[in-house]
Amino acid sequence: MGNRNAIKRIVAHLLLAATSVLFIVPFVWMVSTSLKHESRIFPESGKPPEWIPRTDQFDEQGRRLIIYEGKPGVELKDVDDKKVILVDGQELNVWPSDVTPQTRIGFHWQNYPKAFATMNFWVNLRNTLFICVSVVIGTVISCSLVAYSFSRIEWPGRDALFVVVLATMMLPYEVTLVPLFVLYKWLGWTGSFKPLIIPAFFGTPFYIFLLRQFFMGIPRDLSSAARIDGCSELGIFMNVIIPLSKPALATAALFMFLFQWADFLNPLIYLQDDRQYTLAIALQQFQSNHESEWGPLMAMSTVITVPIIVLFFLTQRTFIQGITMTGLKG
Amino acid sequence: MTRTERRDLRNGLLFASPYIIGFLTFTFYPFAASVYYSFCSFNAIDPPVWTGLSNYRQMMSDGYLHTSLYNTFYYTIGSVPIGIALSILLAVFLNQKLRGMAAYRTIFFLPTIVPVVATSVLWLWVFNAESGLLNGVLRQIGVEWLLSQFGYGLPNWLSDENWSMPSLILMSFWGVGGAVVIFLAGLAEVPDSLYEVAEIDGAGPIRKFWNVTLPMITPTILFNLVMGLIGAFQYFTQVYIMTAGTGGPANSTLVYALYLYQKAFMYLNMGYASAMGWMLFAMVLALTVGVMYSSKRWVHYHGE
Amino acid sequence: MGRTYLSWGLTALVCAVVIFLLWPVRSGWVLASFDAPAPGTDPEHDAIQQGRTIITYWDRSQGHEYEMHNSLVDEFNKSQDKIYVRTVSIGWRIEKLLTAISSGAPPDVCSMDGQALSQLAPQGCFIPLNDWMATQPNMREEDFFPHMYETASMNGTVYGIPCTTDVYCLLWNKEAFRKAGLDPERPPRTMEELQEFAAKLTVRGPNGEIEQIGFLPWLPWDFTYMWGRFFGGNWFNEDFSAVVSAQDPQIVKSLEWQRSWVKDPSDPNPPAYALDKDVAQAFYNGFSAGGAYFSATNPFYTGKVAMIHEGEWQCTFIPKYAPNLEWGVAPIPQPEGAPPLCYSGSCVLDGVPVGSKNMEEALTFLAWYYAPRADGRPSPASDYAHMIHNLTGRKTEAAHERFTQDPKFAVFVNELMTKPAIFYPSIPVGRQFADECQKSREYVMFGQKTAEQALLDSQTMVNGEWDRLRLEAPEHVQ
Repeated sequence: MGNRNAIKRIVAHLLLAATSVLFIVPFVWMVSTSLKHESRIFPESGKPPEWIPRTDQFDEQGRRLIIYEGKPGVELKDVDDKKVILVDGQELNVWPSDVTPQTRIGFHWQNYPKAFATMNFWVNLRNTLFICVSVVIGTVISCSLVAYSFSRIEWPGRDALFVVVLATMMLPYEVTLVPLFVLYKWLGWTGSFKPLIIPAFFGTPFYIFLLRQFFMGIPRDLSSAARIDGCSELGIFMNVIIPLSKPALATAALFMFLFQWADFLNPLIYLQDDRQYTLAIALQQFQSNHESEWGPLMAMSTVITVPIIVLFFLTQRTFIQGITMTGLKG
Repeated sequence: MTRTERRDLRNGLLFASPYIIGFLTFTFYPFAASVYYSFCSFNAIDPPVWTGLSNYRQMMSDGYLHTSLYNTFYYTIGSVPIGIALSILLAVFLNQKLRGMAAYRTIFFLPTIVPVVATSVLWLWVFNAESGLLNGVLRQIGVEWLLSQFGYGLPNWLSDENWSMPSLILMSFWGVGGAVVIFLAGLAEVPDSLYEVAEIDGAGPIRKFWNVTLPMITPTILFNLVMGLIGAFQYFTQVYIMTAGTGGPANSTLVYALYLYQKAFMYLNMGYASAMGWMLFAMVLALTVGVMYSSKRWVHYHGE
Repeated sequence: MGRTYLSWGLTALVCAVVIFLLWPVRSGWVLASFDAPAPGTDPEHDAIQQGRTIITYWDRSQGHEYEMHNSLVDEFNKSQDKIYVRTVSIGWRIEKLLTAISSGAPPDVCSMDGQALSQLAPQGCFIPLNDWMATQPNMREEDFFPHMYETASMNGTVYGIPCTTDVYCLLWNKEAFRKAGLDPERPPRTMEELQEFAAKLTVRGPNGEIEQIGFLPWLPWDFTYMWGRFFGGNWFNEDFSAVVSAQDPQIVKSLEWQRSWVKDPSDPNPPAYALDKDVAQAFYNGFSAGGAYFSATNPFYTGKVAMIHEGEWQCTFIPKYAPNLEWGVAPIPQPEGAPPLCYSGSCVLDGVPVGSKNMEEALTFLAWYYAPRADGRPSPASDYAHMIHNLTGRKTEAAHERFTQDPKFAVFVNELMTKPAIFYPSIPVGRQFADECQKSREYVMFGQKTAEQALLDSQTMVNGEWDRLRLEAPEHVQ
C-alpha cells in the first residue's frame, strides 16, 4: 500500500514537473534572449536554440575570433562587418555563412541600459505607478462604500440595483468603447490620465461584488452593538467594518493594481503623448519602432514582468484567497 | 415609512451614490448613446448623421464581419472547453497532498498575472517560424524529421492562415492558471466522506473522478465557463500586438473585437462599430443565458 | 515572524512608490498630475525656462530614421530662441493620429502618409497650405514630383508638404546568376525572362529542400496594386469615384499571375517557376519575421532570394549589412504593351492639424525645414531624405548630385524622373483600399478565393465605405 502511494506520488510529481517546465520555459527564454548579443539572437538555421547566452570571443587587439570552415583558427582582420579573413597573411573574401564565431558563455547586459535609454523608462514607470496608485485608492474607497450599502444597510431597491451591478459585469467593453471615447472627448479628458483614473472613483462592479461578499460574512451583532453605542453609519463603516475587512480590501487593491499595471486598450486609446505613456504602451511602441532589436525588447519585457512576479510572491496568500473567494461564491 | 427606514434609505443611497453616479455616467449613458450611434453614420469629428438601419443592414452583408465572427467562435470553441479540461486536470493533480504543491501552483499561476503586452511580445518570438523557440525545439527533438517523412514541414504558425488561429489558441492554454486556482478551491470543498464512500464501493481513481469529483465541481465549471466565454468574446490585446493590428494573414486572426477596433479607430466608422458592439452584447447575453439555463441540468449544488 | 518581515517589506515598498511619485524631478513638478506628469528632456526644460513656445511634432518615422530626423530638429532648436520643437515617434499606429485629431487635441505638426491625409482632410482636419506655400521659395507645384503633389492635395487644396518618397526597382544577385549559368550583367527585361530566370534560380539542396528561390511577386511585401497597374489594369473608374477592379480583366489577370507563383495542388503541370505554398510562405517569413529585414539575415543579402523588388534605400543597407554582395539594379519587368511606369510605394507628408495651438510657430518650423539653407546648401528636408536614403519629394532637389553620384541610386532617381509613377490615389478610403489589395492577394494565394471573387469582395467593401462617407459629408467627398 505504502509502495503504491509512493509510486503514485512520483508519477504525479513527474507530470506536474513536466507541465511546469512548459509553463516556465517562455519566461526562461525571455530572460535568456534579453542577455544575448544581437548577433547571437537568431540561431543559424538547423541549429538548436541557445539557452545559455554566449558571446563572441575577441583577441587582445579586440578582433573577433572566428572559425573559417576549411581553415580553422583563421581570424577576422576587422572587428566590424567587413568579412575579410586573413589566410596565411593573405586577405580573402568569404560569405558570412562560411564563418562561425568562436564563443563562450557570457551575458550581454548592455541590452538593459539600451532599453532603458530608448524607452524613457523612469517616466513611463512614474506614469504607470501614478495611474495604478490613484486607481487603487479610488477603487478601494468607492467600492467599499458601495459594498457597505449593498450588504449592511436595508433599503428598498437595493437588491434590484445589485442585480444591475452583476449584469454590468457581463457587459462587453466593446459596447461602451465608442460612446465613452466621445464622452471623454466632450469632457476634454482625452490626452490625459483622467479617463483612466476618474471612473475608478465611481466604483467597479467586480470589486463591489467581491467586497459585498466579504462584508456579508461579518456578524450583524457588531453593527448593532456599535449603533447602540451611538455610532453613525459612517462611524460603523470606518470603525467596525473596515478594520475587519483588511484582507478583502488588500485583495481588491492587489487585483486592481495588477490589472492597471497591465492595462493596454484604454491607455492605447486615451494617452496621446509619449510623456504620458505607461509601461505597457511604451513596450508596445518600442516593439513596433525597434522591430529588429529583440535583445532590448526582451530586456524591457523582463523589467516589466519581474516586479509583478515579485509582488505576486510577496502576496501569494492574499491572492489565492481572493481568487477563491470570487470563484466559489460566483 | 418609519424613521429608521427613512434613515436607512438615505444612508443606503448615500453610500451607494458613487456607483449610482458612475453607473449613470460611465455605463448607462454610453450604453444609450451606443444605441443612438448604431443608427448613425458617425466619424467622431462631425456630428452623427441618422442613417436608420443602414449599419445593421450592412452588417448582414459584410463578409469580414462574418469572418470575424467565425474567428471569434473558432477561438472560443478551441480555447474555452479545452482550457477548462486542462485546468481541471492540473487542479486534480495539484490537489493531492504533495510536497511542493505551492510551488507548482505558483508556476501555473504566473503567466496569468504577467502583463499581456509582455507575453504577446514573447510569444511572437516563440512562434517565429524561422528562428523561434517552438520550431527550434521541434527541430531538436526530431519532429521536423518525422514530418518530413510524410512530406510535411514544420508549421509557419502565425504566418500560415491555417495555423495562425491554432497558435493563438495554444497560447491561451498558457493562461489556464487562473482557472486552476479556482478549481483547486472547488476541489477543497468536496467532502472527504464522499470519497470514502466511493472507496468502500470499490471505485478506482478514474471512477472516483467521474462519479464524485466532476459532479461536485460543476458549480465551479459553470463559473469558469461563463467567465471563459465572456473573455474569449472580448479577446483583443494579444491579437492586436501579434498581428500589428491587421488580423492577418488573410484575415485568419481577425477576431470580432479587433475588427470593431479597426472600424472605430482606424477607419473612423464609429456608428458601425457601435452597431457591432450591440450585436456582440446580444450574442454574449444569449450565450450566457443559454449556459445558465442548461446549467440546471448539469450543475449540482452542494446540499441539494 | 515571517509575516512581520513581509508586512515591513510591503510597507517599505509602498513608501518607495509614494516617494518616487512625489520626487521633484524638475523644479515645478512635485506631484505627478493628471495631465502631463512627466517632464521632457533637459533641453526642453531649458526651453521652457527661456519662455520659448514648445511645439509638438509627431513623427511617422521610427528607429534610426526617427533619430536622423531628430538631429535636424535639434539643428532648428539650436538656431532658435523663440520656438522649441519636441518630437514624438508615433510609428505605424495611425489610430494615434486619428484619435488625437478627431478628439481635438492634435499635435502642432505631424508627418503622415497620403492615406492618413486623405482620410482626415475631407473632414477639415488639416489647414489648407496653398496660400502659405505661395509665399515660400521652392514650393510651386512644378517643384514637386507630380505624384507627390497629387497625394498632398484634394480637389486642388494642398493639405501637406511632400517630404520623402520611394521608388522600386528590380535588384538581382550577380553571384547567384553566375552559379545558375545566367549572364550576371543581364537582368530579366520581360515577364517571360523574369519567370524563366526565376525557375533557373530555384536551387535545391541535397535532400530536395529548396535553398534558394529566384523571385516572388510579394517579396519583401505586397505589390498587388503595382502589378495590377503594370498589367495595364485600372483599379478605379474614370472619375475616381469607385473601385472597379473586379470588372477589369487585366487586374484579374495580374492577380492570377501572382497566384501562379504558388503551386496549385489541382494543377498537374504547374509553371516551372512555381513554388509550394509552404516554401513560398517560409521565404516570405524570412523578411517579415523578427525584424530580419534590416539586418544581415535579410534573405536577399544572404543569397536565399536571387531577385527582388526593392526601394532606393537598399543602396545604403546592402553595403552596410552585406558588403560582399554583388548586386545590380534595373527597372522591374513589365508586361508588353502597357506604357512604361514606375512604382512609388509611399509618400510622407508634413501637415498642420486644425486645432494646433501654435499654428504660426508650426509654419515657421516648416518654412525652415523646407527652405534651402542660407549658405546655399539644400534644405534640411533634402538632408533628411539623403540621410535615410530615400528620395525627396521635390524634383528639383532629387536631381542634386548627392542623390545621383551613386550609379545604383541614380537608376532609382532616373525611374522617377523619366516615367509616370504609380501611386496610391488620394481617396478618403485609401487605407481600406490598400489593406484590401493585400488581403485579396492573400486570399487568392492561399487558394481560398478566386481572383474575381477576392476582387469583388474588396471592391464591395471599399465602395460601401466610400458611399457612406459621401452620405456623411457630401460637401467634402467627391
